[in-house]
Amino acid sequence: MKKSLLLLMFALLVCFASAVPALAEGDLPRLVDNADLLSAGEERELLARLDAISEKRQADIVVVTVYSLEGKSPMDYADDFYDYNGYGIGSGRDGVLLLVSMEYSDWWMSTCGYGITAITDAGIEYISDEFVPYLSSGDYLEAFTAYADLCDEFFGQALSGQPYDIGHMPKGTFDFAKNLLVALIIGFVVALIATGVMKGKLKTVRSQSAARNYIKANSMNITENRDFYLYSHVNRTARPKETHGGSGTHTSSSGSTHGGGGGKF
Amino acid sequence: MAVLQEYKCPCCGGAITFDSTAQKMKCPYCDTEFEMETLKNYDSELRNEQSDDMQWESAAGSEWQQGETEGLRSYVCKSCGGEIVGDANTAATSCPFCGNPVVMMGQLSGSLKPDYVIPFKLDKKAAKAALQKHYSGKRLLPKVFKDQNHIDEVKGIYVPFWLFDADAEANIRYRATRVRAWSDSNYNYTETSFFSVARGGSIGFEKVPVDGSAKMADDLMESIEPFDFSEAVDFQTAYLAGYLADKYDVDAEQSIGRANERIKQSTADAFAATVHGYTTVMPESVSVRLQNGQAKYALYPVWLLNTTWNGQKYTFAMNGQTGKLVGDLPLDKSAYRKWLFGLTGIIGAAVFAVSYLLWLL
Repeated sequence: MKKSLLLLMFALLVCFASAVPALAEGDLPRLVDNADLLSAGEERELLARLDAISEKRQADIVVVTVYSLEGKSPMDYADDFYDYNGYGIGSGRDGVLLLVSMEYSDWWMSTCGYGITAITDAGIEYISDEFVPYLSSGDYLEAFTAYADLCDEFFGQALSGQPYDIGHMPKGTFDFAKNLLVALIIGFVVALIATGVMKGKLKTVRSQSAARNYIKANSMNITENRDFYLYSHVNRTARPKETHGGSGTHTSSSGSTHGGGGGKF
Repeated sequence: MAVLQEYKCPCCGGAITFDSTAQKMKCPYCDTEFEMETLKNYDSELRNEQSDDMQWESAAGSEWQQGETEGLRSYVCKSCGGEIVGDANTAATSCPFCGNPVVMMGQLSGSLKPDYVIPFKLDKKAAKAALQKHYSGKRLLPKVFKDQNHIDEVKGIYVPFWLFDADAEANIRYRATRVRAWSDSNYNYTETSFFSVARGGSIGFEKVPVDGSAKMADDLMESIEPFDFSEAVDFQTAYLAGYLADKYDVDAEQSIGRANERIKQSTADAFAATVHGYTTVMPESVSVRLQNGQAKYALYPVWLLNTTWNGQKYTFAMNGQTGKLVGDLPLDKSAYRKWLFGLTGIIGAAVFAVSYLLWLL
């Protein structure tokens, strides 16, 4: 009796799991290296990382590399790849996909569901600033690892209720050498001024350029006092547009809503 | 040889000098003090005497003209009979043999007679104290200079000054701008308005001093300005007793250029100060016309202190009236480097720490 109940429950669980596609593992793994940019070892390492982060954050963090976009725009290709391969966790199909196409050196980050909230347009700019230089120099593993770690950080921040957005970005790493150099230059300039003042105290012999002390009291008599307007010109400069935070969204060919952004590397 | 004037104490016969603290003549031997007024009559008598002595001087002068002694004058000390040699401009000194203060009357009479004198108010001690104060608070002054410092000589000198009065008439045109800024939802606007501003009028200057002694560096003398002319008195030779004095060797004609330069600058400054309410003001045309009045000749009190260090001579001058002391000092190069790099390190470390803390926040 007990055994059959357990079996029934197991069967129900299996049915439930297979009936809800969002809970199922997608048809494809979270790393699809069609362009073959990574070695087998690197692929295993990256996939393990993507899986771990995706499970921790309950959102699919996906990396796709292709040779060619087959005539589609990077945005459409990424959105369709995400939609038709069943990526995304939960009812919102939460996740983010990074598409890298080698043909014209395109990259695109497509966000979906909670990914749109967690990774805003400004967030995509921030994340891409970190990984695009690696892509450009051909360090693909570093690029994808940076992307995965930053997605992890952004989803983590979004859970706290305040996703990273304009005016509220991760601080990044402390640039030791640059800060030290700037500090030393500031120090040198201030020291130069301070020692200049000390040096100036040694020199007290100066010619007087004027004779202010010898003006007869109340002897100034102004007889001509005219101020007249000549002309004026107006300079007009456009005000910088105020930028709004959050993500712009669009609807993909399958009808789902995506955010995203991309560029060349 | 020319006439010398010594002031003898009527009490004890000692040579009396002007005392800057008491502002009176004082006998250093018996401490008797004499009012300056009482010496005035005495002074005018001496001036009468000098008319013969002037002939004397010119007669003697013909002898000197062809010798190497040109530019030198010799006098006979009335106290000890020793020969005092001064240069052509010396007007007051002390006898090298008996130390008594003497005044060369011929250098201070006729057209050479000063109109005013500002008597010394500060004495030698004050000058030395001011020099010590001048050394303090200067971190880049070599320590050895301060420690090994011995002043070679301290001289109280009445320096000849020309005092120029002038009325300046000025017509100055400025190009001025005013900037206004505003913005609407799309654009920022800055409007620059140009104005032509004209100012004209007159301003008077009184007693602008120009150093009349070629021996004194002009910048050194200008650095210890200002002297307070309200304390000047009509010239009496008695004030010179106990101090050195020179007669002028740069005449008023040669000195007026320097005074005019300064007057012009001050006139331009004074009129520029009446232009208000603009963002920028640039003079476009400046015309200053001066009408100089009579130049007056005055002796102003200056303490000169000389010191030699590492083979170089350092001269300090102190205003004998106000106590303002100036003089360039040597730079300790190694201390300079230490301060420069030390401060760079300390400030750099502080800025670095702050930038790190800001990053952590």
